Amino acid sequence: MVKFGIEFVPREPYWKIIYYAIQAEEGGFGNLWITDHFNNRNVYVTLAAAAIHTNKITFGPGVTNPYLVNPVFTAQAIATLNELAPNRVVLGMGAGDKTTLESVGVEMQKPLTAVQEAVEIFRKIASGEGVVYEGEVFKVAGAKFLFKPKGRIPVYVGAQGPKMLELAGKIGDGVLINACHPKDVEYAVNSVKAGIGQAGKKLDEVDVAAYTSFSVHEDLKKATKATVPVVSFIVAGSPSLLLERHGIDIKKAEEIREALKANDWGRAFGAVTSEMIAAFSVCGTPEMCIERIALLLKSGISQFVVGSPIGSNVREAINIISEKIIPHFQT
Amino acid sequence: MDYRKFVEMIPVGKWEVFSDKLVDFILTSKNDEKMPSQLANTILHHWQHGVLKSESGLVALLQAALLLEPDKTINAFSELQMANIAEQIRESLES
Repeated sequence: MVKFGIEFVPREPYWKIIYYAIQAEEGGFGNLWITDHFNNRNVYVTLAAAAIHTNKITFGPGVTNPYLVNPVFTAQAIATLNELAPNRVVLGMGAGDKTTLESVGVEMQKPLTAVQEAVEIFRKIASGEGVVYEGEVFKVAGAKFLFKPKGRIPVYVGAQGPKMLELAGKIGDGVLINACHPKDVEYAVNSVKAGIGQAGKKLDEVDVAAYTSFSVHEDLKKATKATVPVVSFIVAGSPSLLLERHGIDIKKAEEIREALKANDWGRAFGAVTSEMIAAFSVCGTPEMCIERIALLLKSGISQFVVGSPIGSNVREAINIISEKIIPHFQT
Repeated sequence: MDYRKFVEMIPVGKWEVFSDKLVDFILTSKNDEKMPSQLANTILHHWQHGVLKSESGLVALLQAALLLEPDKTINAFSELQMANIAEQIRESLES
């Protein structure tokens, strides 16, 4: 049976996010993901609050990157969280966002190698081992915790491109696929399956999650209005190949990119088309969202993650998902 | 302000609908910086334990709602036929 996850961006104060997290837990969500960007509030402080105020939901950073936070420190934070909420903690690790990294003067060098090495280092040190590691990107010279970490913590690898998806299938206990459209998810799952095969694992041993931009409301116009800003940023950051795959006019995308650079939100949001919304979000009435999720499930995902904006009113949207959408997939 | 006194004046039958309104005001407010963390933690504790609609939960919600969205909160009293409480809170805020 498919699991439902929910993602929050700690741009909001912790108390709003934790209110929604408690609501989501009560409403049948199994996973809570908190994004990790240096310009928002800290992911681990937010997760610590979640650990204290929730009882059963599984949670973790979705996702952190090894460039800004050394994997040794990531392991320390995750192992400590696992003491606060034993067996409820997972790690989401990805290569990060190039633009954000550049803004702090960090180069995204060898992303595949960096993620692979970071996961190896994380697993070793998080299991209590002393680590000597001579990688291409990371070097560790005998680091070891002075406390005994508890249990084994599952690692989810965040991925979008084919090589990272394959690596994610190969080394991950889970994969977070950044995609919303059935065509993209199907393509991604095939790459993940290739990696799973290389590692000699079975598909059901890996939790494959579609990490989506989501917006639901009983009124389609309200759902759409909430998702347009998010979609405009996704379009602006998407490569031409991906845009063309969805029949999106490259000139329109360029227009959005320029408008966003100029902080001309009206022009940027006004240029978002219905094709863009369909390609880069799961958006609509509850019935429309159910239909789209059902299509995504056919691609082989085992977790559906409801990501920003969730809805025009987050509390109402979580109620709709809990009362109408999750039960539909549990019968 | 004696928030408990005002909550005690609210008919028990209106607690659920009123707390729902207050939660909405608090979560959609743009005045996040006005929320004291201790009060936020009290609200989360009540929410986690399913007692946000209890008397003590309502006291915390009312305090937060009046800090973040005073006008909306006072109007909500009037909308729910509790104009007398709205008036007393207004007087209390002005004094």
